[in-house]
Amino acid sequence: MKLKKVICGLFLLFTTSIAQAHLLNMTNLHLDTTNPDAVTLRVKIDLGQSLLSPQDYWRTVNMGSREQWVNIEPSVNKLLDGLGIFVNGVAVAANLETWSLVAASLEAIENPLSPQMAELTFNLNNLGLESSTALANASIELRIAEWLEVPWPALLRIDSASRQLPVSRLLTSSDRSSRSVPLSADSAIAGSSFAAKLAMEFQGWIPGLSWVAIGFQHIIPWGLDHIVFVLGLFFLSTRLSTLFYQVSCFTVAHSLSLGLATLGMVSVPASIVEPLIAASIILIAVDNLCSPVLSRWRFVVVTLFGLLHGLGFASALSELMLPAENFYTALLMFNLGVEAGQIAVLVLAFAAVGWLRSWTAYTELVARPATVTIAGVGTYWLLKRAIF
Amino acid sequence: MGLIKHSEKLRTIAGIATVASLLLVFDVAFSAMAPAHLAFPLDERAPGEFPDAWIHGSKSAMDNDDPAVQVHAYNEHTYILRENKAINYEGAFMYLFFGNEVAMLIDQGSTSSPALFPLREVVDEIIDGWEERNGQEDIELIVANSHLHGDHYAAWNQFVDRPNTVMVGLTHEEVMAFWGIDSYPQQIVNFNLGGRELVVTGTPGHQGSELAIYDGWTDLLYTGDMFYRGRLYLEDWDAWVASIRKLRSFADQNPVVHLVNNHIEMTAKSGVDYPVGTTWQPSEPPMQMTLEMLDQAVEASFEIEEPGIYTYDDFLIYNQVPWSYTTDP
Repeated sequence: MKLKKVICGLFLLFTTSIAQAHLLNMTNLHLDTTNPDAVTLRVKIDLGQSLLSPQDYWRTVNMGSREQWVNIEPSVNKLLDGLGIFVNGVAVAANLETWSLVAASLEAIENPLSPQMAELTFNLNNLGLESSTALANASIELRIAEWLEVPWPALLRIDSASRQLPVSRLLTSSDRSSRSVPLSADSAIAGSSFAAKLAMEFQGWIPGLSWVAIGFQHIIPWGLDHIVFVLGLFFLSTRLSTLFYQVSCFTVAHSLSLGLATLGMVSVPASIVEPLIAASIILIAVDNLCSPVLSRWRFVVVTLFGLLHGLGFASALSELMLPAENFYTALLMFNLGVEAGQIAVLVLAFAAVGWLRSWTAYTELVARPATVTIAGVGTYWLLKRAIF
Repeated sequence: MGLIKHSEKLRTIAGIATVASLLLVFDVAFSAMAPAHLAFPLDERAPGEFPDAWIHGSKSAMDNDDPAVQVHAYNEHTYILRENKAINYEGAFMYLFFGNEVAMLIDQGSTSSPALFPLREVVDEIIDGWEERNGQEDIELIVANSHLHGDHYAAWNQFVDRPNTVMVGLTHEEVMAFWGIDSYPQQIVNFNLGGRELVVTGTPGHQGSELAIYDGWTDLLYTGDMFYRGRLYLEDWDAWVASIRKLRSFADQNPVVHLVNNHIEMTAKSGVDYPVGTTWQPSEPPMQMTLEMLDQAVEASFEIEEPGIYTYDDFLIYNQVPWSYTTDP
């Protein structure tokens, strides 16, 4: 126990001196890729406490620029050897462009608590990329070699034209790589999985694809009440034409009200729309139980309910902020996604029970219990949304 | 006559009622089992306590038996952590605020190595215990910073691979985007931390991205490094003057019980500080400060006209003094 304490104490004593020495003079790295023709890496480093001795640094600070270069060249080369910059995994070269050596006094340089920072700016103009678009879609990594000691930690900032915000990474003596940082925000979201890359490819091909996906999500899995309503239409009869006419009315109606509500021409509070959607589910299910064939008034009712459900989608869509520059495209794509979601529900329903439609007991053992359940779920939602 | 025969009407209605009732029963049961929603009312002050003394290093690092990170529960949803001065002389304070389903860690100390300074491990332990006591699980952790100086984010990397964690970032732009500040430093924004209302505003002067955070539930006003019991290193005097007066004005309009911050560098003796780099501070004053001390700082903002070192009872002002002059002989 005593031995452990002594070892811990020695460890603390040793590391304390390191921490003190390197606390205030941490290294700053700024990789700026916003201008593809002038990619730069700016390094702010306490040169007199790292790659040069305080005396050499002080001597160099007081020289003319030509002599300064002669004095700092070995340190700069060492820094360049130890700083690995990789674009798409390929190492790129950096060249010193400008430098600024600042120090108040030799005493100040010698004191680790009074950092005297030098600033070195490197250009990285030969990135081996064909175009600025290639740079925007590239990923970049900065690594500090195991043998290179800089005042830790080193804060890396990466700016890129296709990101609104910079990216920050902290490099430490035990974690010396920034890891691969995508310069495009879209790539950052997508990550590196095959499925994500495929989605990004499609997104590039059809720019509104993400809105289709969002529309689809508003049916599966988020639009449970809309799913139940569509199933209510599905269980009316065994005839496909019956289903087709109902779904067509419903689709046209909710597209219309979604459009009008999104354009701000219609506005109904969710506190009214949501209980009414639940009521529409009950009514459609009860109608299934009372009338096995498609009556004319059913078209009217389904159309009215479609208008109602469109207002429900609009309420959800209003939280997503459609882009002003592609408003109509995004709205159309969202709607297409909703339709795709509805079709997916019907396909799944057919796959699950559709093949039983010719069975004589289908109505009694499948359609009726399912419809009663749909009515029960609608009743539960109505009570919950209107009362609780 | 439809699918439903006259004699089956009752059975059908019973079926619908049964489905609806079952769903309601499940709904109510799940709601009852769900953890109670924590309330953080603003109209009554949540009490809290500071320790009699913080861990304050030791004469010899070898003799230091204190934990690497001191954990102090100010109250059940507010934790204050201190880095052992034997590990790093800064002895930085860090804060962990809890709301419903979310916690926020403000600052990550002055040491990167998890072996020396296992901040992530300590924070995870606190969160696990809090989740257990409050019936919540897998809550989100937000890793934020008072300002962008290395002695406040050295252990930031310990959290980058933590699941369910939001890393605010270490650039001015990332920080302001996270808090929703479009107009730094003037703007005052509200931030909802799981039902716990925080008020955040820019307070530059010591550093150009610094923020003050007010917790309306506890009435604590967190001032980071721009106001604490120690050497207030000010790189931008005019900015600090505006910031300290803004804090005073804010405290006039909002109840403030204590001002809390990141370091202690003063001794218990009025106007006397420990030397820079001290790793043993046996005679520390409390970390928390009072509104009277804030008044004194506001007075100083009117008195001081030139760069230099100015001594006050509870803090020293290093107005635009180069680092080379700030160290002790």
